[in-house]
Amino acid sequence: MPRYVVEREFSAGLIVPINDEGAKACCNVVDANLTDGVTWVHSYVTLDKNKSYCVYDGPNPEAIRRAAGKTNLPVNKISEVRVLDPYFYQ
Amino acid sequence: MSLLERESSLESLNAWLAQIATGPVAGTGCVVLVAGEAGIGKTALLQQFTHQQHLAKRVLWGGCEALFTPHPLAPLYDMARQAGGEFTQHISTAETREHVFNATMDHLSRGPMPTILVFEDVHWADEATLDLIKYLGRRLTRLGVMLIATYRDDEVGVRHPLHAVIGDLPSATVHRLQPAPLSAAAVATLAEAAGRSAARLHEITGGNPFFVTEALAVPETPESAVPATVRDAVIARLARLSEPARAVVNVVALVPGKTERWLLDKTVPKAGAALQECLSVGMVALPDGALAFRHELARRAVEEHLPIPQRQDLHARILRSLLRQIGTDVPTTRLVHHADQAGDSEAVLRYAPLAAERAAALSAHREAAAHYETAFRHAASWADACRADLLESLSYEYYLIEHVPEAIEAREAALKLWRAAGDRLKIGDSLRWLSRLSWFNGVKDAAERYATDAIETLEQLAPGRELAYAYSNRAQLHMLTNEPGPTLHWGRKAIDLATALNDTEILSHAYNNVGTAKATAMDLKGYDDLEHSLKLALDAGLQEHAGRAYTNLATTAIRLHDFDCAIRYLNDGIAYCENHELVAWIRYMTAARSVVFLAQGHWDRAADEAQAVITNPCVAPISKIQALMVLGLVRARRGDPDSDAPLNEAMDLAVPTGEMQRIGPIVAARAEVAWFKGAINDMADEIRAAYDQAQKQSDPWMQGELAFWRWRCDGALERVGCIADPFAHQIAGNWAEAASLWESIGAPYEMALALADSSNEADLRKALKIFEELGAAPMAGILRRKLRAGGIRGITRGAQERTRQNPHGLTARELGVLEELTQGRRNADIARRLFVSEKTVDHHVSSILAKLGVRSRGEAAAAAHRLGLAEIAEGPRVARK
Repeated sequence: MPRYVVEREFSAGLIVPINDEGAKACCNVVDANLTDGVTWVHSYVTLDKNKSYCVYDGPNPEAIRRAAGKTNLPVNKISEVRVLDPYFYQ
Repeated sequence: MSLLERESSLESLNAWLAQIATGPVAGTGCVVLVAGEAGIGKTALLQQFTHQQHLAKRVLWGGCEALFTPHPLAPLYDMARQAGGEFTQHISTAETREHVFNATMDHLSRGPMPTILVFEDVHWADEATLDLIKYLGRRLTRLGVMLIATYRDDEVGVRHPLHAVIGDLPSATVHRLQPAPLSAAAVATLAEAAGRSAARLHEITGGNPFFVTEALAVPETPESAVPATVRDAVIARLARLSEPARAVVNVVALVPGKTERWLLDKTVPKAGAALQECLSVGMVALPDGALAFRHELARRAVEEHLPIPQRQDLHARILRSLLRQIGTDVPTTRLVHHADQAGDSEAVLRYAPLAAERAAALSAHREAAAHYETAFRHAASWADACRADLLESLSYEYYLIEHVPEAIEAREAALKLWRAAGDRLKIGDSLRWLSRLSWFNGVKDAAERYATDAIETLEQLAPGRELAYAYSNRAQLHMLTNEPGPTLHWGRKAIDLATALNDTEILSHAYNNVGTAKATAMDLKGYDDLEHSLKLALDAGLQEHAGRAYTNLATTAIRLHDFDCAIRYLNDGIAYCENHELVAWIRYMTAARSVVFLAQGHWDRAADEAQAVITNPCVAPISKIQALMVLGLVRARRGDPDSDAPLNEAMDLAVPTGEMQRIGPIVAARAEVAWFKGAINDMADEIRAAYDQAQKQSDPWMQGELAFWRWRCDGALERVGCIADPFAHQIAGNWAEAASLWESIGAPYEMALALADSSNEADLRKALKIFEELGAAPMAGILRRKLRAGGIRGITRGAQERTRQNPHGLTARELGVLEELTQGRRNADIARRLFVSEKTVDHHVSSILAKLGVRSRGEAAAAAHRLGLAEIAEGPRVARK
């Protein structure tokens, strides 16, 4: 299955508190992704919390967008990526 | 006894059933596909499941049989008998497949919920049964039915029709089970229970439960090893039967499915006395007294073990018994099966054509063809004319199941017989058929030669429907290669003759060809002809013709960029085809609808519909080409990855068709993607070649789109043919005109693209807003850079020149319309003369009135003369022939 990096911009900042509420928000996204065969691997969030780089596995870009629609997450750019492991070359 | 190693399968089945009975959307049914090799225990699993579950109010079983040619809808008849009431009568008196299906839906929707339907061994199913499964599978939401189908996946090759059925089921409601072979431990448990050694048993049987049981049932002798095959196991078991018992077993082995008690008694004297002995070797007595093998594998083993002469003799005896059974409803299919196996030609020729007709009425065309094949094999002694009739029926059934080369062969054989008999009417009609079949086969030259020969032959006779069809066939060939002149010529002849004969079918066919040709050449009266063709087909219940009319109406509207109209026809057409299970057309029109959604800016829906078409395993190339194009463009316009692969695949599929209507749009799409990447020059040769091709045809939109990309690529266009307005304007630098036309067409992306050529900040901001709303990231990025840089691109030379001569800023097209106005023409006439729709003319006229500051067409004409604008209009122009 292809891997994608999804760039998302949050003008009001992305706040996910470390408590039950935050856990629930993440679980909701994971559950909603299931119907489209999409897996959220993990994300990197900028320190100003205005932008995230989310690593996703999914069948195609449309499935990533469908899942984002269901969870009300913005999609600014989708790039298909492969792993580059620097230590592989040693 | 509980089954070994089937707990998780049973758990899944129970959970799916519970969903139907008590789930959040109770009443939403599901399909369960149970796949596995023969003897793996599919039936045993389902027997256990249906026996122990408590939720379903009733369970109806129907099995498909390994007849040489299966009986249409045999499983449904089984189920109807179990359901009781008038259901059986309703379906056996139904005249068409549609009536049968409706009666079934009706029965199920009124029955208890949930109901479990088990279709067993659907790898043997006839075509009508497969259609029924698909039909029910697509309507389960309303029924509260758990539809279970079992099949041997190792006997279902890639081209097996079952794949098409599975592919067309809505994937959200389909579950799959694949019972695994027994583990070594489970085999050892079984061996132990039988008091036997398990040595090598698992290895030889591969854990196949039926094989294991049969092997364990073979009496153990000191020298006996485990039998090497199921067949050996079965034969070894039967070796010690008494003579009378063996007679019973042999008869039951030659009757696929089960042998009714009356049939057994009539065929084997004193069968009753031997029954007990048979039951002890693995045969079963069914509740209705019929006798069957516990498994089809065992039946086949015995059948193959019998010497051929003995088999023939037994088949003849079974046939006699069946024929003597007056009053019961013995299906003709069974008579044909035994007559054929017995080598009884007279009986085959009596019953096979009857069985074929019934199968065809139920749309089981594969089976109808097989019956005609059987009949023909036995017809050597028949008169030429009778054999030719048989071949024609056979050819028609082949044609319906898209076995085109076989259909041609049968039709050619018939033609030879008609020539020998000197029947010129039949010769002419066969030639017309060969023309149609050759086109399907992709051999255009042969199609044209046969078409001409057919007309020549038939014109020597009194005019009749054969000649009318020959005319319409020729019109269709010209329509498909986009030659409006000859299409209208031959179409008119067909219409005149069919009108005189009052033949609705040919009229519908002919109006369709004529209408499509006219509309594509921008004669909007073509719509009326197509509408008329549709109405004739709908009124007379001619489903194929209605499907074709909807499709051509919709694709014509799309080619003319009349999207609202296209959506209307597509929605109606898809609904009609859903009701009549015309699946190929559903897919074609769904792909076409995704094209419209893309143009209208509904990109999510466009991608969803395109994806659904592409992932269907049976999709025809002409449908897939459009869907791939849509998917590639949605991705490119959003800036999403992987836009090239779908477009390349579309191109690979489009090129062999040789039809510009399929190749042109893909070239344009590839040009657009290349343009995004700043690599449009790489596409230059491809664009120029396609543009040259398009110029040979009378489709101004196709020419416009390709001219537009050629202009983007080469920066100039020395010679422009007859191209559609929005493209002509944009090429001429009148981006504002182009944008407003795209707006009235309802194509926001194209509108914003036109605005993006402006140098005015307000226009650019407007374009940016549209791109942002659509989610068109790459174009939005380009515009933002353009705005930031404050760069102003000069307007093209052509626009400047015209504006200088023409102080009111009328565009070339407006000047053209104005010229027509000065001649006193009505909008409808202008539309036809300028190859645009009336709506577009309306739009131009209002724009002219506004620019000239006048209130009426008369005043506009007067102003034109006063200002000398009419002379300007005579000058070189972009958008006219």
